[in-house]
Amino acid sequence: MSELRHGFRLEHERCDGCLACMRSCPTFAIRVWNGKARLLTDLCIDCGWCLKACSRGAIAATTRSLSEIGRFAFKVAVPSPVLFGQFPAAVTPDDIVDGLLAAGFDAVWDYGIDIALVARAVASYVETWRGPRPLVSSTCPVIVRLAQVSYPSMLEQLVHIHPPREIAGREIKRRYSAELGLPPEEIAAIYITPCQARIISIIQPAEGGKSHLDGAIGIGEIYNTVLAAARSKSRTVGVSGARHLVRTADMLRWSTSEALSRHLFRHRYLTVTGLTNVIQVFDDVEKGKLRNIEFLECYACWGGCLSGNLTVDNLYVSLTKLHKLISDLSETDSATEAEIARRYPAEDYALERPIRPRPLAGIPGDLRERVRKVNEAEAILATLPGLDCGLCGAPNCRCLARDVSTGDASRADCVFLSTERLEELKRFYQRSR
Amino acid sequence: MAEELFRRSFKIHGRDFDKAGETSTEIKAILKSLSIDAGVIRHAVVVAFEAEMNVVMYADEGTMTFVLTDEAIGIEVADVGPGIPDLELAMQEGYSTASDEMRELGFGFGMGLPNIKRNSDTLSITTEVGKGTTVSSHILLDSHE
Repeated sequence: MSELRHGFRLEHERCDGCLACMRSCPTFAIRVWNGKARLLTDLCIDCGWCLKACSRGAIAATTRSLSEIGRFAFKVAVPSPVLFGQFPAAVTPDDIVDGLLAAGFDAVWDYGIDIALVARAVASYVETWRGPRPLVSSTCPVIVRLAQVSYPSMLEQLVHIHPPREIAGREIKRRYSAELGLPPEEIAAIYITPCQARIISIIQPAEGGKSHLDGAIGIGEIYNTVLAAARSKSRTVGVSGARHLVRTADMLRWSTSEALSRHLFRHRYLTVTGLTNVIQVFDDVEKGKLRNIEFLECYACWGGCLSGNLTVDNLYVSLTKLHKLISDLSETDSATEAEIARRYPAEDYALERPIRPRPLAGIPGDLRERVRKVNEAEAILATLPGLDCGLCGAPNCRCLARDVSTGDASRADCVFLSTERLEELKRFYQRSR
Repeated sequence: MAEELFRRSFKIHGRDFDKAGETSTEIKAILKSLSIDAGVIRHAVVVAFEAEMNVVMYADEGTMTFVLTDEAIGIEVADVGPGIPDLELAMQEGYSTASDEMRELGFGFGMGLPNIKRNSDTLSITTEVGKGTTVSSHILLDSHE
């Protein structure tokens, strides 16, 4: 199996070894060795907390920049509905669409349709499912990867339906290559993303297929350009050249943590946000609790995608703005319904292959050898102070004990056990300040 | 004869709903760190959790002993408690003596022992009314995919 790829990179020259990313990582996937952060790639599920934690800009999302996508003949933006809650209230959804066009896109996709199609496909999946419950939503790539890495026995409970962004990408290529007579590879479907995690579902889809999207641009990356375009327009009282793309409450609700509430309200349904909360709930599911729940809508970020690490506005402010927009819209409209009626029966939404586990490499060796290492790690742990100070470069004493047992670290990395280590740290951190 | 590789014991406190489930979480962490097959882990976690909940719901206190051999996972839960007057009845799905309060907490649907049985390769239960119950389950390491 190919190595797990990630939606960000560590830039070593910028890293000053401050430990902030290591301390923020919920899966203990970061070590700081010799004053530089190191990623244990198979433990990382791309939650992206380290990106927010790093004040040095040493951890960067591998999104695309606007200039990079210039090589495509025709560029179509697929804006996450999160985008529409990011701007000052005076900037309308139409202004934002105009702003995307001003930023260099040739078209902005009518994404509410794909969202509605997938919502319908998921609702029908939940209704007809006869396997173990609860089913788990699969739109958040971090949740999918969490299940692949840590809860392989729950993988069949993931809803095996493509997220709307993939359905949009596929239709964009199909429609514009027919309309414009261009080969599909010259048409770029670019997702405007609230987080770096969406990138992993583009560069390495969980089920092993190939994404229909050609990359993602972070909301923060295009924010200023869109805002400037909207402001200059309001000065000239320009008329929107854009199609009216934000028409339904259903579309905007997709950006909140209750995306499917309207479609699944008859079912026993839980929304869980925040990775640590999701882990707690998954633990309960594995124990056989929550069997009466039919569907779990799960997001790695607290409050859902609105607090993604590439957003600009505060979660609560943007949620309020979206609620205001939602309250002014009807659930759906005739244009959307007509498109759904046309497209829904004609397209497939199911993933082409099952999502497979990505078990951790773990401790090498046979069972006897692994038991020996685990016992050794426990014995080492008993000699450590248990303060989880992180100065050894591991996030807690347990991780250090494990790293020592596997030969990746030394007991002498602990400042309580080795004054030399303390002296070394002093020298290093004085130099880097 | 299977060789014992690893053994741990945990105390379980009756009626401590706040901590209920922690022992099975700990056992899962150990099994994961040992890179045991995910399917086997899931069976072991369900057995450990249901047995733990039975102690929490009905008994005064109990001990869970986790033993790993080169062939199987053994989970033995021995409690000091009321015992089970009619074991055959208790093994039936849906049979439960849980109080309304327990049901409100989401427990006691009469699936505990049936679930333990379904997830074990071998199971033995000894019980004495007024004294306590011992549930002993084995899950083979190579029989689950």
